[in-house]
Amino acid sequence: MPKGSVLVVGGGIAGVQAALDLADSGFLVHLVEKTTAIGGRMSQLDKTFPTNDCSACILSPKLVECGRHLNINLLTLSDLVSLEGEPGNFKAVVHQRPRYVDPTKCIACGLCAEKCPKKVDNEYNLGIGKRKAAYLSFPQAVPLKYAIDPDNCIWLKKPGRCGACAKVCPAGAINFDDKAVDHELEVGSVVLALGFSPYDPSELDFTGYGRLANVITTMEFERYLSPSGPCMGHMERPSDGKEPKRVAWLQCVGSRDINRSCHPYCSSVCCMFAIKQAVIAKEHAHGEFAPSIFFMDMRTHGKGFEEYYNRARENGVSFHRARVHSILPADDEGNLRLRYVNEQGGIEFAEFDMVILSTGLEVDKNTIKLAERLNLELDEDNFIKTDVFNPVATSRPGVFVCGAVAEPKDIPQSVMEASAAALEAGSILAPARWSATAVKEYPLERDIHAEPPRIGVFVCHCGINIASVVDVKAVTEYARTLPDVVFSQDNLFTCSQDTIDQMVNTIKEQNLNRVVVSSCSPRTHEPLFQETLRDAGLNKYVFEMANIRDQDSWVHKNEPEAATVKAMDLTRMAVARVRGEEALPYHTVKVDKSAVVIGGGIGGMTAALSLAEQNFPVTLVEKSAQLGGNANNLFRTWQDDKVQPYLAETIAKVNNHPRIDVQLSCEITEAGGSVGKFTTTLSNGQNLQHGVAVVAVGGKAYSPEGDWQFLYGQNDKVHTLLEIDRMLIDESEDFKATGQAVFIHCVGSRIPERPWCSRVCCTHAIDQAVKLKEMNPDMDIFMLYRDIRTYGQRERLYQKARALGIIFVRYDLDHIPAVSEDSGQLIIKTHDPIVDAEITLQPDLLVLATAIEPQATGSSVAKFFKCAIDAHGFLLEAHMKLRPVDFATDGVYLAGLCHYPKPLEETIAQAKAAAARATIVLSLDEVPAESITAQVDPAKCVGCGVCVEVCAYNAVSMDEDKNISLVNADLCKGCGACVAGCRSDALTLQNIGNEQIMAAVEAAFD
Amino acid sequence: MYATLEGLRRFDIPHKFEVVSIISLYAQWIREGRLKVDPAWNTEGLKFSVQDPCKLVRQSLGDPVADDLRFVIKSVVGEENFIDVWPNKSNNYCCGGGGGALQAGFVDNRRQHGKTKFDQLQDTGADVVITPCHNCHTQVKDICDHFGGKWQTTHLWGWIVKALQR
Amino acid sequence: MSENYNLSKLRTRLKKQIEQAVPEARIDYCLTCGLCASGCPASGIEDMDPRKFLRYLVLGQDDIILQTNWIYSCSLCQRCKYACPMGIDVGRLVYEVKGMRPVEDRPKNLQKSCDLQKAGNSTGIPNDDFVWVVGDILEEIHETEPEWSDLKAPMDKVGAKFYLNQNAKEPTVEPEEMVPLWKILHAVGIDWTYSSKWWDGANYCLFTGDPEDWELTTRLQAETVDDLGCTTYINTE
Ligand code: SF4
Ligand code: SF4
Repeated sequence: MPKGSVLVVGGGIAGVQAALDLADSGFLVHLVEKTTAIGGRMSQLDKTFPTNDCSACILSPKLVECGRHLNINLLTLSDLVSLEGEPGNFKAVVHQRPRYVDPTKCIACGLCAEKCPKKVDNEYNLGIGKRKAAYLSFPQAVPLKYAIDPDNCIWLKKPGRCGACAKVCPAGAINFDDKAVDHELEVGSVVLALGFSPYDPSELDFTGYGRLANVITTMEFERYLSPSGPCMGHMERPSDGKEPKRVAWLQCVGSRDINRSCHPYCSSVCCMFAIKQAVIAKEHAHGEFAPSIFFMDMRTHGKGFEEYYNRARENGVSFHRARVHSILPADDEGNLRLRYVNEQGGIEFAEFDMVILSTGLEVDKNTIKLAERLNLELDEDNFIKTDVFNPVATSRPGVFVCGAVAEPKDIPQSVMEASAAALEAGSILAPARWSATAVKEYPLERDIHAEPPRIGVFVCHCGINIASVVDVKAVTEYARTLPDVVFSQDNLFTCSQDTIDQMVNTIKEQNLNRVVVSSCSPRTHEPLFQETLRDAGLNKYVFEMANIRDQDSWVHKNEPEAATVKAMDLTRMAVARVRGEEALPYHTVKVDKSAVVIGGGIGGMTAALSLAEQNFPVTLVEKSAQLGGNANNLFRTWQDDKVQPYLAETIAKVNNHPRIDVQLSCEITEAGGSVGKFTTTLSNGQNLQHGVAVVAVGGKAYSPEGDWQFLYGQNDKVHTLLEIDRMLIDESEDFKATGQAVFIHCVGSRIPERPWCSRVCCTHAIDQAVKLKEMNPDMDIFMLYRDIRTYGQRERLYQKARALGIIFVRYDLDHIPAVSEDSGQLIIKTHDPIVDAEITLQPDLLVLATAIEPQATGSSVAKFFKCAIDAHGFLLEAHMKLRPVDFATDGVYLAGLCHYPKPLEETIAQAKAAAARATIVLSLDEVPAESITAQVDPAKCVGCGVCVEVCAYNAVSMDEDKNISLVNADLCKGCGACVAGCRSDALTLQNIGNEQIMAAVEAAFD
Repeated sequence: MYATLEGLRRFDIPHKFEVVSIISLYAQWIREGRLKVDPAWNTEGLKFSVQDPCKLVRQSLGDPVADDLRFVIKSVVGEENFIDVWPNKSNNYCCGGGGGALQAGFVDNRRQHGKTKFDQLQDTGADVVITPCHNCHTQVKDICDHFGGKWQTTHLWGWIVKALQR
Repeated sequence: MSENYNLSKLRTRLKKQIEQAVPEARIDYCLTCGLCASGCPASGIEDMDPRKFLRYLVLGQDDIILQTNWIYSCSLCQRCKYACPMGIDVGRLVYEVKGMRPVEDRPKNLQKSCDLQKAGNSTGIPNDDFVWVVGDILEEIHETEPEWSDLKAPMDKVGAKFYLNQNAKEPTVEPEEMVPLWKILHAVGIDWTYSSKWWDGANYCLFTGDPEDWELTTRLQAETVDDLGCTTYINTE
């Protein structure tokens, strides 16, 4: 039997996601992180695009979950040294450097850092500002444990010289004798999520970086914006701390460059990164703010990106299609001057207070060394080499990869790949599932029903976060005076491991039966405290939190007295709520260990195979009479992998798989139930019980019309990309005689009717042009484009196309190419902005790169499973950034073009990710169901039936005999729609009903 | 410099010698103490700036020779009397006299090209601009006269002799 | 009114010619990003800039390229290449185009400087004059500056370690400008020499666009230095 454990290397968002997916689906995970805490690059960001979510806020719960997971063994300050063995049975050596702070004792009070005399450049803030030699990299760090940096610690350099930290540490956690440890780990597979390094522009003297104070990088600016950064989120420029009013971003610094940085690839994320910063900075700014972005091609090719770009333009971000040679000082004040040339060749000058370099992503030097040690192939750009048709597989079997270490990519893409890598890493170990994991055992739950309330209140200092503003001691004293409160205590960090252990004891000793924690946000911390209650033998629902940090100390910094009063108020309200709360049963649903996959294209087939290979039965439903979907018409990928052989092989695998039941010419007519137990009816009358569903209903090519028709369907020299692919598949000889070919990009995309970028068409069109040119080198080929969006390493293809002599001419919406015909001969007139001339072409072939649209079936399937669609008809994931394959509805996942246009390799990754998420459910025997469900008071119910109508989960029905409504607790999601809808006040949600709310409101005015 | 170095390289001309810039030698000799200079003569605090010749710096020896150039000037006129330009060294603006422009005629074009350099030098407020290249010397002097600059355009060697200690 | 280019059949003769002469030209690689034009001090002169220059080549507008006098404003300074993401050396291409000008259509003085150089030095003064001027000035110093009475200006000294060149401008226009250099070399005490055969430090054949001329002048120069047996060639600019 293979080993039931997996090694995940890299604690950024990709590594964290992979670790969680694996641990949740039955494997023990060793998560290796080189720094003192997990979180990676994402933790350094202020906001994330396109949702403008606070990065730390959406990341933090995942980090906390990872840190607390019973089956994730977190190894910080660690590096993978060697890996021997084979898939299923590897031996890994992980070298862990000493922390010099005992994590089991550290209560993260911060005294060591406060007293440490040694100041060091803060690398977490990219060298802006200082930290101490004893430090915590960021406030939400997981583990929340300090560390001592041996390169700078005075004592460690010369024992006996300082030791200030050891003297002040109240927990006795400082251990100067700490030693490095080599862990030998037996694992079945490995996931590498090594991330990237931001390109260092110091070598580009013309940028002035490192010489002009107010020239900084985007990553640095992110720290300036971040509330946990060196300026606490106040936008300041380095030279004089003044708030900059005129800021320029220069794109492609260290990307798309074969001259100075030797990075021929596009870093994919920087365009959106810069736009986001411009938008957010504008929000941060007091008063006027003028952001300008200087770029070559605007690459907003992701979901929601193009609209974000459009909004930014409307809201005063100015965009200049121009690259700037040098950044010049404008005066002695630190202002900067740019001289640039507009598209028509006019010379312009502009002055700025600050210039931000959109520096690209590159592979870290240590990654290159690690790849050498592990015997992994790298590609020409030093990214870890993967397989197009298995985008998370490395050259070494059993070792998988995800995130930016395989190619520059954004967070959602990294998260998708992380789940896909988790699937692959887990799939080969499927027989060993749950063999290495531990199961959490809780003590028997105490029955408190008959007991009078005995409430315990724990008030948190949160280091200095709360205590520097609120008088925590006073709040604690006050809490003890509240009715039914029998115990109160203040803690430096209530969430630190030792305090948690102590809380368990206190609950038992004091015989508490209700608990309130006055601290931070329940979003991140409620699960932790609820589990503490269970560890102490209490039901987890007799618990309340008062957020005296986010809602109090952070927002009332300058009014400490009022903040203390408010903390008392919030605590009193929480006590009032918890008083009436009762133990609730933990509902579960038994899982039907099978899946339904809707859509028989590459996405659907990949998901089906991924699940079937782990022995879960799958029904694959395809509405047409044939498997394969759009891939049936694709010739090759941009890396020259032929699609048809791969497709044929995949179809054969699906058809021959004993666990896949393929239903062709079939659709879904009805679906009900919820995660673990869905019931779906097919158009052939079949009724399926299944635990999960994957929706991969695909997309379709837009059929050119109106302004974008370009004689399509009228002149036989005009084709779409897919039609040309078909001819290439059929080995047509037609192109041998073509003298001139023209491609028009963005046909039907990026216009008001279809405001999204179809993502694949630039690459697809250019690849086709390259293919034609290779077949017939004498052919003149013109590409009429708006922005070339060959993101990531696809940029190499764009370069290749230019090198082959394919000519690119830009057009914009004011100069849409004019296509006419004269006795069948096509005539195209377009405008070249560089020489400001009209160009006349007479091609023998005109190819239209048409938009990708969602299928209409998407929205009906979405409705069956209560999933959302976006304004354009694409299916809407639970969270654009961190849950890219989940729907808000548990147990239903999505993949492929129905989510957003994407190339084959990304569809495959997403389908595998969907399968990974589905696997988590299928690997469990039962899943928790909602405990907080609606209750009907039969005495009040008048049988009007409104609740039946408003319930989106079909959880409410009418008892016809008694004429009152009934709630099926298995189906109820606790959303409260019925409670709000009921005019007779007959419905209520347990523990968050009127009783608790009224008690809290009354307490507020006490 | 470039003509010789690049010529030897491009046409693969056999030769037994190495080519060095006099600037690097000055710097080396000052560092070695073989060339003793003292900026004490500059009692009036004459301010100096410099033109990095494209052919010598960007196209031949890069920043190291530009750093040597600055080292020599500062040693000779006093650290505090040197005002640098921006951009400089390998990223310097061409004076506009190179590439045969001085010999080719098209005087207005040449001066238009040189206007960038003029503005840059004018902004330094320097009294003297050192031009270690004859082309640059002629052009820098011409744009100074033409656009009404106030500086004096000179070679480097004269100042070294001024500071020379024997 | 903007121009209209009929590219029904694209012909790029000039571009191909340049590519043949300069294999590393990479004209096609241009992203039309404008970075070169942003940094080029000659942008805008004659309504041209490095990006446009490339674009005309790509679109086969050879006449415009062959006629523009912008090629004499481009100083071949390579500031464009320095930062161009594709490392395109527009100056290098301009050099080729300069060479494509029939000699009779080239700016007279530039061509003349090169022709003279081929014969010895760019000003065309006889080598004897150079030798005489050096001697004359040296004598004057010996007479007027007693502290420099031992100053030397060696000529054709076989076996000297250093060979020194001298821009032709000094001996012809401002001979006294040679003196400081001699003084410095004397103070340092190095063993150096001029050559009476090949002494000019400039080389205008670099700018006319004819590689044969450039090669010839460089070759003659190299031979001179090797004949003298000098191990170091000091370039005075
Ligand atoms: S900098 Fe290079 S790539 Fe950009 S326009 Fe100029 S030559 Fe083309
Ligand atoms: S080489 Fe010519 S084109 Fe390039 S920056 Fe210099 S002057 Fe401009």
